[in-house]
Amino acid sequence: MPIYNASLLEINSSETKRYAGLGNSDFPQSLIDEACQEARLLIQPRGCWEMYDYDWEKGIVMASPNFRIEGNSILKHLRGCVRIIAMVATVGHDVENEINKHFQEGRYSYSVILDAAATAAVEQLADMMERAMDQEFNKLGMARKWRFSPGYGDWPIQQQPELLRISDAGRIGIGLTEAMMLTPRKSITAVAGLYWKDAGCNQDSEGHDCSSCCKYDCLARKKF
Amino acid sequence: MIYIFDGAMGTMLQESGALKPGMCPEQINIENPEVVQSIHKLYVEAGANIIETNTFGASRLKLIHYGLEDKVREINKAAVENAKNAAGDKAKVAGGMGPTGRFIKPLGDLDFEDAYANYYEQASALAEAGADYILIETSIDIQEMRAALLAAKEAASNLPVICQLSYSEDGRTVTGTDPQSAAVILDAMGADIIGMNCSLGPEQLVPIVKKLAENTEKPISVQPNAGLPVLINGETVFPMSPADFGKWTPELIRAGATYIGGCCGTTPEHIREIAKTAAECKIPAFKPLRRRLMLASRSKTVTIDKDLPTVLIGERINPTGRKKLAAEIKEGSFISVKREAIDQVKAGARLLDINMGVGGIDQASAMRRAITEISQLTDAPLVIDTTDAEALEAGLRIYPGRALINSVSAEKERLDKFIPLAKKYGAAILCLPLTDEGLPQNPTERLEVMDVIISKAKKAGLRDGDFILDGLVMTIASATDACLQVLETLRLYREKYGYPSTMGLSNISFGLPNRPLVNSTFFSMCLAAGLDAPIMNPYDEAMQNAMQASMALLAKDPNGREYSKNESFLAVPKKAATAKQVDMDSISSIKAAVIEGETEKVAALIDDAIAEGKSPNDITEHALTAAMNDIGVDFGAGRVFLPQVLLAAEAMRGAFIHLKEQFPAQSNKDKGTVVIATVKGDVHDLGKNIVGALLENSGFRLIDLGKDVDAEKIVRAAIENKADIVGLCALMTTTMTQIDEVIRKLKNAGCDAKVMVGGAALTQEYADEAGADAYAADGVIAMNLANEMVKKE
Repeated sequence: MPIYNASLLEINSSETKRYAGLGNSDFPQSLIDEACQEARLLIQPRGCWEMYDYDWEKGIVMASPNFRIEGNSILKHLRGCVRIIAMVATVGHDVENEINKHFQEGRYSYSVILDAAATAAVEQLADMMERAMDQEFNKLGMARKWRFSPGYGDWPIQQQPELLRISDAGRIGIGLTEAMMLTPRKSITAVAGLYWKDAGCNQDSEGHDCSSCCKYDCLARKKF
Repeated sequence: MIYIFDGAMGTMLQESGALKPGMCPEQINIENPEVVQSIHKLYVEAGANIIETNTFGASRLKLIHYGLEDKVREINKAAVENAKNAAGDKAKVAGGMGPTGRFIKPLGDLDFEDAYANYYEQASALAEAGADYILIETSIDIQEMRAALLAAKEAASNLPVICQLSYSEDGRTVTGTDPQSAAVILDAMGADIIGMNCSLGPEQLVPIVKKLAENTEKPISVQPNAGLPVLINGETVFPMSPADFGKWTPELIRAGATYIGGCCGTTPEHIREIAKTAAECKIPAFKPLRRRLMLASRSKTVTIDKDLPTVLIGERINPTGRKKLAAEIKEGSFISVKREAIDQVKAGARLLDINMGVGGIDQASAMRRAITEISQLTDAPLVIDTTDAEALEAGLRIYPGRALINSVSAEKERLDKFIPLAKKYGAAILCLPLTDEGLPQNPTERLEVMDVIISKAKKAGLRDGDFILDGLVMTIASATDACLQVLETLRLYREKYGYPSTMGLSNISFGLPNRPLVNSTFFSMCLAAGLDAPIMNPYDEAMQNAMQASMALLAKDPNGREYSKNESFLAVPKKAATAKQVDMDSISSIKAAVIEGETEKVAALIDDAIAEGKSPNDITEHALTAAMNDIGVDFGAGRVFLPQVLLAAEAMRGAFIHLKEQFPAQSNKDKGTVVIATVKGDVHDLGKNIVGALLENSGFRLIDLGKDVDAEKIVRAAIENKADIVGLCALMTTTMTQIDEVIRKLKNAGCDAKVMVGGAALTQEYADEAGADAYAADGVIAMNLANEMVKKE
């Protein structure tokens, strides 16, 4: 399965605002635009994915060796899915170094917004990867559920090593610390389930909507 | 005439039973040729007059998955023979080439030259075996299509090449190419037939066919799927019946298609219906298009023409006379190049000129790198500005679009080397009226030189729409009539050729005072005389203003609507009028500045307060601390958000730094000492940094130990520094147990500092169980808690 380093012609500024915890406040748009622009100069988007058959009744990904998924929320999310895509994406180290540099030099607010722009960028990258893979399996008559990451709901992040293994994340330079944190820091891993259209497995929501997360005081939580 | 392609091969092979699971579909060409031939025959009998070989995945990069990479030639040869055998004299054979399944750098990991070699090998095998066309199909990336087209034209130079991309429902390919840009790029590169297949049904493809037809005179091919797939009884089915499919044929023909067939889910019956309905159709007469100069990036086309708004070409990516930029490029850093690309587009540049003319470097590799980086960052088409043929080819080859070459003069070397490159890579040329003998003396001579360049280019195969003409600006300080000459030249260009014109402008004013005035006045005159695409500095306000006003005056901005939107042209700026003026005392002013995060104002306001006789303590307590308290309350109430609190902290920082400079003796008066760390195993420290910044800028002495810090180190620092408070941060469930450990060790060591904890995974309950004195859900709460803790003591 391919490596796809999508090009981001812009970084979504309203998502950047959300990740920065700004809600709909009238914070100076110029600072947000500046951060989104600087982030575009600094990010090195890289992504890759692998597709596997999936036994949703047992929660087993047919990789070699197999990977048994744990966690009720993810198992529930993948109910009815016959294949999964294991995907990883990163925007690299440079942007992170710059975020730290700004903070150390006393530009606290800008640093936080740049951090948020990098988060928005890596999510957009994953969206574009999904767009690339959708064309392949849509042809087969399959549809994709929204991507679900370790740490969402009760999916333990201790499963990160397995996810990195089956997505072959090493080839784009994504690694893991002992405490199961991804490096570079602005990276994501996720699983997207594929199901046969009209096979009684419906999309339960449009995308990751924060509803399965119990971090109620998260400053980026989507409001309903 | 309407040419009829065949339909799907893969599904037919599956149904025949010859294709076993896990088997390479192209291997059947050798192992079971009769089956392949019989399927081809069914299509020929149904009315197809072009059939496609069973070679979709018969390139090296695909066959390698089956260990068949050594059989490229053999398989492709057998496939052509099978098709020819079935076709007889009733149909032509198109040698099909599908995608590699990988993305080309920088979008993926496949080298452009490897993709080229992959297709070259396959195309030569197909041609050698006697294919009548090369058909590149189902490509989702224009760069892969370019590699395949270049390869096909070199490996099979006598065969027409059909280029079919696959479009998604939003009308673009997966990597963002729209049909107009595809038409512009592929037409110029010499594709013989341009079209699309797969992904969508005929209904969704009609508008894409139309868009192609509006942008190229080349024949258009379309091979839709039999509708969008559905699952019936556990099997994927393309639902559109042959009759329904056939009904779309007249629509597709009306939209401009003359080559029609089917892709996934189509059968001989579908093809029979197409042939039947096509035979009853009236074919629209060929309508020639006026060829305009169109340049394209991967995802956007820019047209330059006399009736369209002026196109600004950004000139800033050019190291000539810019030492810093030149040094960076020489060192291999492209950060400023990238910044200039983004900034110029933001400032209104619609094309970007790229010049890598730095002495002592490998210009070809610098050009390749610059174009690779810039085309990932912006969708503005590029202008390759070089005198070095090698650098030019390096850039043209890897640019996933149609570029403009800057420039081709009548100098022999340029004519001989640049024009063939323009033809090969489908680039347009900027024609510069210069000869080996030097500059032409007057407008008539300029025209004579242009004739030489244009006729030479046309002989090489370039056509109308491939040219933009340079007015060649001289300096009025040395040639009195330089401006008049340019204006006359522009008029003559338009009159004689009708091609668009361009030029760099700033030469005109060399050696004169107030050059901006001369330049912008000259610019307006040139625009009136027919200048279409100035090469200029997009940050130059006077020039931008002249351009906007001229567009309104020259009816390119009807009734000056765009002009009126520019706020800076309004007599009274909209926003400045509403700025409030409230008289406040000096302390309140500082406080307000901190709350608003106006760092740049704070120092001056403090000086005012001191001049009024306020003490540093007054300022700290009643202005600074009070401001942070207020903003903390607002944050708690949800009236302001974290980045705003941090802006205030930045202003506080500025205030403290200024106070320390003014009153060094006061600098050691702090509220207390806080040792802060992100615990061992945890590498995320932005949250901890925020807390640290808020504490430090509200008067605490801060010792920040950083991230991934050992328990022992934290304990040692707390004791050595007589910490009043220890702040611990953990982000993840995997690292928060470290909190317990640190607290235990602090107690064992007899440290009596208060412990405050926080971080995404932490909760009040966890903090209580771990024996922490306080849990802070966010940075502002941490700051308030710290204030409480030191107050109690």
